[in-house]
Amino acid sequence: MFARKSHREYLLVWLMLLPALAIFMLFRIIPLLWNGVLSFQFWSPTKPAEFAGLYHYEEMFLYDDVFWEALVNTFKYMLTAPIAIILALLLALLVNSRIRGRGIYRTIIFLSYPLMVVAVGIIWRWLFDQRVGLINFSLRSFGLIDEPIAFLESFATALPSVIAAAIWQIVGFFMIILLTGLQSIPQNLYEAASIDGASRWSQFWRITLPLLRPSLFLCFVIGIIASFTSFDLIYVMTGGGPGHATELLITYVYKTAFTLTQFDYAGALTIVMFLLFVGIALIGNLLAGGDAGRVDIAD
Amino acid sequence: MEDWKGWLLNRVTITFGLIAVVVIAWNLYVQAHDDGILEGQVVNEAGEPVAGAKVVLSERTIVSMTSIAETVTDADGRFHFEGHDRHALVLTAEMPDLARSARMEVQLYFKNQNRRLPSPIVLSGAA
Amino acid sequence: MHRYPRWPIHLILVIVSFVMLVPFYWVIKTSITGENIFNYPPSLWPVDPQPFFYVDAWYAIPFPRFFLNSVIVAGMAIVANLIINAAAGFALTKSFPGKRWMILLLLACMMIPFHATIIPAYLITAQLGLLNTHLGLALPAFSHIICIFLFKASFDAIPPSLIQAAKIDGVPEWQILLKIMLPLAKPAVATNIILSFIWSWNDFLWPLIIVRDVEMQTLPLGLSTFLAYFEDTTGSLYAFCVMVLAPGLLVFFLAQKQFIEGLTSGARKG
Repeated sequence: MFARKSHREYLLVWLMLLPALAIFMLFRIIPLLWNGVLSFQFWSPTKPAEFAGLYHYEEMFLYDDVFWEALVNTFKYMLTAPIAIILALLLALLVNSRIRGRGIYRTIIFLSYPLMVVAVGIIWRWLFDQRVGLINFSLRSFGLIDEPIAFLESFATALPSVIAAAIWQIVGFFMIILLTGLQSIPQNLYEAASIDGASRWSQFWRITLPLLRPSLFLCFVIGIIASFTSFDLIYVMTGGGPGHATELLITYVYKTAFTLTQFDYAGALTIVMFLLFVGIALIGNLLAGGDAGRVDIAD
Repeated sequence: MEDWKGWLLNRVTITFGLIAVVVIAWNLYVQAHDDGILEGQVVNEAGEPVAGAKVVLSERTIVSMTSIAETVTDADGRFHFEGHDRHALVLTAEMPDLARSARMEVQLYFKNQNRRLPSPIVLSGAA
Repeated sequence: MHRYPRWPIHLILVIVSFVMLVPFYWVIKTSITGENIFNYPPSLWPVDPQPFFYVDAWYAIPFPRFFLNSVIVAGMAIVANLIINAAAGFALTKSFPGKRWMILLLLACMMIPFHATIIPAYLITAQLGLLNTHLGLALPAFSHIICIFLFKASFDAIPPSLIQAAKIDGVPEWQILLKIMLPLAKPAVATNIILSFIWSWNDFLWPLIIVRDVEMQTLPLGLSTFLAYFEDTTGSLYAFCVMVLAPGLLVFFLAQKQFIEGLTSGARKG
């Protein structure tokens, strides 16, 4: 460490930070504050702003059924995280065992993740198609159902269908994260445990799971973020329908802002969505016992 | 650490190189064969060429079918279209008030691909 | 290790692989089959394979244009990311007053997902006159905070003696960055490239918001436009879908290892 810095060094540091700071100022901080301001105003691009107080929030919480439906749907959509994590854990354990071809299995399972979500949505739309979709076809061929199910058009099955597609896409990513976590567990722990006579099941509970906690938590956070930002899949598969059965907060924000051009109300919706997201992230952080991974993959 | 970069570069350059070669070769082929020539013959049910039959050329888009050109067969029952600028077409032939043919679909691999019909259009119907 | 039979593991993994691959197969099959795709029951194999759905898709809406747009925007994002993130990561290796606040600020920004900023981001882009332009499409993605921390971690791991030696030799700072630190941080560079490529290439919401003309659409937006124009009426949709997926898959297979490492390290802090 130097005792005294020259001015040039400071200048250089700030110069090098400047572009990044400018970008984040422009596209993160200012927008967040602007959203906050918008939420307390009546504003449209053609009229000057007027102070609105809590009008929008009142409308949102007291009168807007779609908001509540979107909120509930967003929470339901968060189920992708635990389901996908459990599946991914199982797969990671299987792939981690010493079998031939594990690299191939790993690639195949991970393949779905780097794909464009729009394309994944179109693929799954087709799979769920009522007339000729593969899923209906298989169910009918195996005699499990008589009439085709309109997966994406009925209220009861629309959201679970989208969740299924989301799980399909993300399970490979979670598996890779958990695999990395598994591989960093020292083998001698298991050896020592089996010498002591511990069963494999208890080894799993007492060694594997606790040491996997950071990875599991990471997957959980990513899954939660995805449920707040899963715009593409919903837009392509159902557009939020039928009715608002698959409307998430993010799709509702988009529609309010860019289809109905109600920027001010959408600003309020965004603030609520953001606070909810931060709240859940903080709660999760607390539950995981501290700084177990502040991440943002959905940048 | 240097190793993986060199090896990766090889795979990447080979792949993109191959793609570039294929793209260039395909484009050259297309250039040489895209006059939009469409030729065929109209025969009757007995297999004899029909002269003076009207042949209608229509374009087929994903959502519609509209006619774009017409011609008449010569003494040998042959017809010739050129420069149609389409990639999916439908041909029908008819002797007005006498006979007509079924629709013949012509699907090309690229716009204006030259094509000589492998089989003739068959006129059938009440004489 | 324990001795247990291997074949149940293989069996489960094969079934799972089947489930993961069937959607791909089904879409490819639909895009080349010769039968009417709305026939029930659908055939399990392509019937009379034909490539004409691809020809129809090619001429229906401009795939090359969309591809070019995606390439330009992704290219801009990658280059900008490398420059801006490496510079910021480098700056963060120095100690200076306010460094702690800077890091806290950046961490806080990480908590603001892009989706919480779309409305003002749109308004700002409109003010800058960048609606419907490549620069406007790429600008919000010019830097990612995760990548900055990745660079910082890589640079921090470089033995200070190397840097000291260069300073004593009078090498200017920017050359230290370029000639000494960056070459030693190759994994961070690769990760940066991959992450910024993926996030830009697959991005749908932002192009949806700011693109007005069909010619400026990127691939994801082009795909959804195709869906909007032709809905479920044609197999060309699935041909287009395959065409759109192909470049991404190609890049993935070429750089598989770096890809997986990049995405998983991008999901960890630093």
